[in-house]
Formats: sequence, C-alpha cells, structure tokens
Amino acid sequence: MLSQTVVNRLKEIVGEKNVVTDKVGLLTYGYDGTLLSGEALGVVSPHTTEEVVEIVKLMNEHNIKLVPRGAGTNESGGTIPTQDSVVISFTKMTKIHEIDTENFVAVVEPGVINFDLQVELEKQNCYFPPDPSSYKASTIGGNVGECSGGPKCFKYGVTRDYILGLEVVLPNGKVIQTGGRNFQSEPAYDLTRIIVGAEGTLGLVTKVFVRIIPLPRAKKTMLAIYDKVEDASQTVADIVAAGIIPTTLELMDNLLINTTEDFSHAGLPRDAGAVLIIEVDGYPEDMDPQVKTISEICNKIAKEFKIAQSAAEVDQIWTSRRCAFGSVARVRPSYGVNDITVPRSNFPKAIQGVLKVAKEYGVTIGVVAHAGDGNLHPLVLFDQRNKEEVETVHAAEKALCMMALDLDGTVSGEHGIGLVKKKYLDSEFTPAAMGAFRKIKRSFDPSNRFNPGKVFEL
Amino acid sequence: MSNVNISKLKAIVGDNNVIDSPSEMAKYLKGQGKPAVVVLPGNTSEVSNIVKLANEQNVKIAVGGAGVGTKGLSGGIAMVMSRMNRILEMDHLNLVAYVEPGLLHKEFLLKVGEAGLNFPPEPYEVETSSIGGCFSIGDSDSKSFEYGPTRTFLLGFEMVLPTGEILEIGNKCIKNVSGLDFIHFAVGSQGTFGIFTKLLVKLLPAQEAKRAVIGTFTSIHKANATFNTLIKRNIQPTRMNLLNASLAQNAIPGTEGQLVIIDLQGFKESGKNIANEIAAVLTLGGGTDVKIIEDEVEYDQVVNGWLKVRADLNGKPERTVEFLVGPAKMPQALTQLEALTGDLGTYPGVVVEGLLGYVCLALPEGTDKLALAAKVNRLAMSLGGNVKGLLGHKLKSEAYNDAEMWQQTVGLLQELRQQFDPKGILSPGVSLEA
Repeated sequence: MLSQTVVNRLKEIVGEKNVVTDKVGLLTYGYDGTLLSGEALGVVSPHTTEEVVEIVKLMNEHNIKLVPRGAGTNESGGTIPTQDSVVISFTKMTKIHEIDTENFVAVVEPGVINFDLQVELEKQNCYFPPDPSSYKASTIGGNVGECSGGPKCFKYGVTRDYILGLEVVLPNGKVIQTGGRNFQSEPAYDLTRIIVGAEGTLGLVTKVFVRIIPLPRAKKTMLAIYDKVEDASQTVADIVAAGIIPTTLELMDNLLINTTEDFSHAGLPRDAGAVLIIEVDGYPEDMDPQVKTISEICNKIAKEFKIAQSAAEVDQIWTSRRCAFGSVARVRPSYGVNDITVPRSNFPKAIQGVLKVAKEYGVTIGVVAHAGDGNLHPLVLFDQRNKEEVETVHAAEKALCMMALDLDGTVSGEHGIGLVKKKYLDSEFTPAAMGAFRKIKRSFDPSNRFNPGKVFEL
Repeated sequence: MSNVNISKLKAIVGDNNVIDSPSEMAKYLKGQGKPAVVVLPGNTSEVSNIVKLANEQNVKIAVGGAGVGTKGLSGGIAMVMSRMNRILEMDHLNLVAYVEPGLLHKEFLLKVGEAGLNFPPEPYEVETSSIGGCFSIGDSDSKSFEYGPTRTFLLGFEMVLPTGEILEIGNKCIKNVSGLDFIHFAVGSQGTFGIFTKLLVKLLPAQEAKRAVIGTFTSIHKANATFNTLIKRNIQPTRMNLLNASLAQNAIPGTEGQLVIIDLQGFKESGKNIANEIAAVLTLGGGTDVKIIEDEVEYDQVVNGWLKVRADLNGKPERTVEFLVGPAKMPQALTQLEALTGDLGTYPGVVVEGLLGYVCLALPEGTDKLALAAKVNRLAMSLGGNVKGLLGHKLKSEAYNDAEMWQQTVGLLQELRQQFDPKGILSPGVSLEA
C-alpha cells in the first residue's frame, strides 16, 4: 500500500482526480488483453512531461516501481502491474501537437489513440501506416511500446519504421530527446530504435515524432477462396515470386470463416478451407497489371476469386477479417491469441504445425494470419473458468511457440513479449543475445524501476 | 611500443594474413595512426580469437572492409574483413541473403541484380565500401523516403563482441519484435558494440522499370522550388536530388548550372505519365535541357554520377556540414543559408535531397566547421530541423541552453558502450562526444 504521504504528493502533482487507490479502481487497471491480472499500489495519470518527471522522481525517492500503460489492449501482459508498483497511465496525454503533411511528420502525445490520429491525418490526405487490429482503442504510446504491426506490414513495415524521434523520461527522472523530425537525427546510437518495442522497460515516452505519408492514390482489394489452406500459401509464394509487394495478404482458415460468417454474414462459403484477402496500392495506372497478375495466380488454384468493385464490397471483405478475434467468442467464451512468426517459406509447415498441436492437445484452434509476413495468430479457444482446460491451453500455446522456433521463427511478430512469452525467450535467444539485452537495460535502468520483470529478468 | 603478439596472431590466421611491415600495411590504412599490425581473418572464430588475444594484451582493434581508419589505433590491430566476402545464401522465397561483412557493397549489388532482386541502400563509397561497413555506418540516403533507411534491411547478424564472445541474433522473418531490438540498435553503432561477422539482409524484388528526369537551372533556388511543386502535386519519386553547379559537373561531365536528378524506380505503367509531369514541372520552373532518360546505360550513368558525388562528400566528413529541415522548409533554409555562405550556386558543394529535406554543404578551404555548424543549426532549428546526428544533438542542447539533456544523452551513450566494451578494445577512433 502507498503511504498517505506518497498519495498526497501524487495528488499534488497530477490533481486529486488523477490518482486512483481504491480497490475497484485498481482492479480496472489490473488487466490487459491476456488472462493475467495484477494489482497496482496506485494508478496515476499525468498530463505533461513535467508531471511525469515529478512522478518518476517521487517514486525513486520511495523506491517504488512504475508500470506504464496506454489503453491496456496488449496481448502480452506488458502492462500488468507486477511486484509492488504504481501504474502510470498515459491516457490523459492525448494532444496531437502538430500535423505537418508537407514535411511528413506529426508530433503527438503518447495517449493519442491510433484511430484518432488516423482520422485527423485522413482529413489531410495522409496516414500513419501501423494499424494494429486494436487501433480503435490502442494508443500511439502503446504501439511504440510493443512495436505493433497490423495488416499492412508486408509492404509498410511495423511501428519502428514510422517513429522518427521520441521525448523520453529516463528512470533517473531526466528527459532526453532521441531522433527528431527526420531520419538522420539520432545521436550516434539509434536510441529511438531500442526504446521502440522495449515495452516501457527503458524509458517513459512522453512525446512521439511519427512519420506520416500520403494516402495511396489507388487501392485494389481482392478476395480468393480456397479448398485448402496449403493452396492459399501457394498463392502467397507465387505473388512474391512475381515481384509484387501487396500491402496485405490476410488469411483466415475454415473455423474463422464460419465464426465470422455467424457474426457478419459477409457471404463467405462455409465449406472453404481458407480465404485470402489481397490488397495492392499505388498509382492508378499500376493497379491493373498487378491485379491481372494476381488474378492469374489465384485462378490457377483458388476455388473462387473476386475483385472488389466498390467501396461497399471492400468493406464487406474487410468486415470478416476485422471481427475475426471477437467472433470466436460464439464458439467458446475465451481465446488465447498467439503471434508466432516464421520465414514466409515455412508458412505451410507452420499451418500444419498448428493443426498438429490442436490434435495433440485436443484443443480447438482457429488461424488468422498475415500470410505475407509469415505471421500467424492461432486463436486457441477455451473456457477460462475451467482450470484444467486452461492448463491444457497453456501447454498448447507453449507447443505453438516451440514449433515456430523449430521453423526458424520467432515467438512474437508484433505483440511483444511482456509476461506471457518471457519464459520462451531463452529458447529463442542465445545467452550472448540475452546478455546484450541485459547490458542495454542496465545502461538505462540500473535499479530496474521501469516495468520490472517484463520481457526478461534483469 | 606495442603489446601485440605477432606470432600469436599468425597462429590464429596464418602467416600470410598478418602484415606488419609498414610499407605493406599502408595500403590497408586510412589516417595518421600507426597500428602495429594488419590482420585479415578468414572466419568468425578467427575474429573471435583475435579479439580474445587483444583483450589479454589490452590492445585496441579497429575494423574495416577494405581499409581501416587508424584514429586512436597506434600500437593496435587493424582488422581488414576483405577475406570474409562470400554470399553464403541467397533465399528467393524469403527475399533475404546471408552475407559476410567484407563483401564489397558494389559486388553485392551486382549479385543481387543478377538474381532479379533489389538491395536499396546506397554505397557509402562506390568502390571500397563493404556490406559490414554499410550497416556499421547505418545511414539514410536519398532513396530512404521510398525504401526506409539502411537499418530497414537488416534482419539479423552474427557479431563478435568486444570480449570475443560470439552473438547471433535474428531470423528470416520480416516481422520480429521479440526481445529488445538489438538487431536495429546495432546498425550505426560503428563497431563499438562488436564486429559483424555475418549479416542477414532483407531484399526486395527488382524494380522492373527505371527512369530518370534531369534538368539544369541557373538558380539553385529555382531548381529547389520545383521539388516543392512536385510534393504539392503529391508526387514522391524514388530520389529527388539537387547538386549545385560545382558538384554537377562531377556527376555528369559537361553540365553547366545547378543539376536536378529525379529518379523513378518501379512505377511500371505510371512511370511514363509521372516522368512527363515531372519534366513539365522542371521546364515550367525554369529548367533547361530537361530530359527524360529511359535508356538503361544512360540511366546508370546518371545514378552512378550521383553516387560518386555522394561518396566524395562522405569521404571528407571534416569538410562538410549536414543538416535537415522538412522538405517544405527547404526554400527558406536555402535563402537564409546564403547569409552565412554567400551564393550557394558557386559554393564548393551543395547537395539537397529533396524528399528528406536534407542538405550537405562542402565547405571552402579554411572554414571553421564547428562555428558554421552552430550557425547552420540555429537556422535549421528555426525551421523545425537540426544539424545531423550527434553533433546536431550537442548544438541543439546548447541552443536550448539545456546542458543536462546533453549530459544525459552522452552519459547514456557512454554507459551503453562501456557495458558492451568495458576495456575499451573496439573502434578507438569512434568518439561519442561530438
């Protein structure tokens, strides 16, 4: 429990209403997108960098640890309060300081919701490519913390590729700026890159300089339907071999086709083995030849192939994909999301691996995948009230991670490590690499005060 | 006197790969420092053993692809990676390659091209740069707007740490956020965290269509103004570069005036229309000899001319000042800059990378670089920009009157370096103090 002195001091810093210490209040900040939960000593919501600095200094005086939090949508346990810690919530830092489309940069506070930024950018014919499926709720600060991905990564990359600079409060309470408004402003070492994806273990981000780019002039959305998942994988390989880089190659398997149909009635055939959503963008003149090549590739092997002819048809295609995660709740009340990733060439093997795990552990697993990236989201379905089943699911998820590593992949393509995947890190990384992580953490945070115990133990 | 034990080095790499006669060594060395020996390892374990030996004897090591910078290296070991120059694997399905660090950048580009693939980062120096050097420097270049900076193309590596320990990290996945991002953090660390011994590089499909539009202008300001017109028209080519008159002739012999080079890679069907639109903008903006280049040989000449100019400037960092402002701020920046430099058209060298809002100035003989950089930084800051890199951070902190931020930044950089290299073995010529 926090002493009254600390609570009072926190209230002085951020205002009475922005400090939470009651049981019910703490509960709401104790969970994220995973099954985990924890209870913080308190929750504090600063409005400015100066307030963040004051909070960090105060916590240091009292040797209390800090866990940063945005919207708490992450799938890795990264924002779960563990150890005796105070949650620092950035949801009050929501200013968009500046949008400068002519110079391709926007400056935002970490609590700005990805979607809110996109809406503002779109008015000026620009966008910020990283768009995790949680983008309607998740914050830019959270996206930076986890280095989020989304469906457009195949062409446009992940969050790290769109962060030009950061203002960061270090664990000693000092403020630095990394990078700036352009590519070449890092101070010798690329500090921005090491902070992006570090899940708040190295510093608290209080301002983000994001790279924005003009909206593509044209876009074409296609849908291919297959008898077998393997056929969809073959299409992905063929498209890449044809020298085309689509923005999106999204795959859903039969289970997801059915659960999303129950919900969205988009008209997908329920007996199909897989669907692939394919999108290309660029100049209008360059669309038709690419669509032609893709349709030739798909028609060789797909059971059905169509090109969206209107915005409504594009929406219809995307509706299924967007509701995929939620739709499985109709089958079972809980699901575990994984984000294992393998080299593209091993994607078919990974799909087989998922089927094998489902069979061996007797669990139901649906697959949504960013197939171009080799990034799979096997959704393991279960009921979290059934303790025994939960154990089985954890075992199955472990098997999925080990399968990805056996296929020269990674346990996380876009969700981060947090608490959930921390136990697999020694399997993915050599002791020398783990040593490098620890050297970096020690350089920033020798007393292990920021988000302690996340990603790896110091 | 040096502590280097030549016979032990010979035992590690073989007699032929240890060179200690000053005249023989000279061709591998750059700068005034006097290392005791040049050593050419052939594989990772040799690199590791050399580093371990250096640790035992407390000797410094600097590394280079073909040549090694000798600053701070007197009595130390110059490690030349040119024997480790193989492409270990070219993986078409995953669009990646495993390469050794001593492979010349230009050789790699050749092989990648033959394979129908694309490796976008520009060579730092056309003839001598290596792939290890490419990622060790980890720059951006004039194609970064389209492709991303150099770091985008590294997916993993093998590295010998300053202790001699071998670290491997990364995989062929194009999406990977596991652990801390040491993969990209190592890019640009200039050999201070370790010595690259193998690199896992990301590739792209080759661009099927390539075109350039060039034109010359009597005024650098008019030339630059066309860039703003293009950006306003929502055209983002692959490169959009401007060379002032002094540099233009080095790029394309015989050029008179300020040269604009616009490069269009990809844009297979749209390229013709875009090139016409660009040519019209250049002509309307006052350009003469505006020309659309579609011939492959001529296109390569233009691009190689640009790369040569860039390499010349990269070769003399002490004689250049680089800064960035947003592309839209460039007209003001160039106008204000002339108050400091005089006529930019006849200045020893001016390069503008229009999409990045980047400027490189080649300074006249006798210019006080730091004094000019401070003035340029103030100018750039008033337009939302700054001088590039570590120097820019220092100048920015000074301009903010924020000594604390500079101390924190430098303190952090040094702590990181110290954590990796507690004995200060590697890259003695790299300073983290600007």
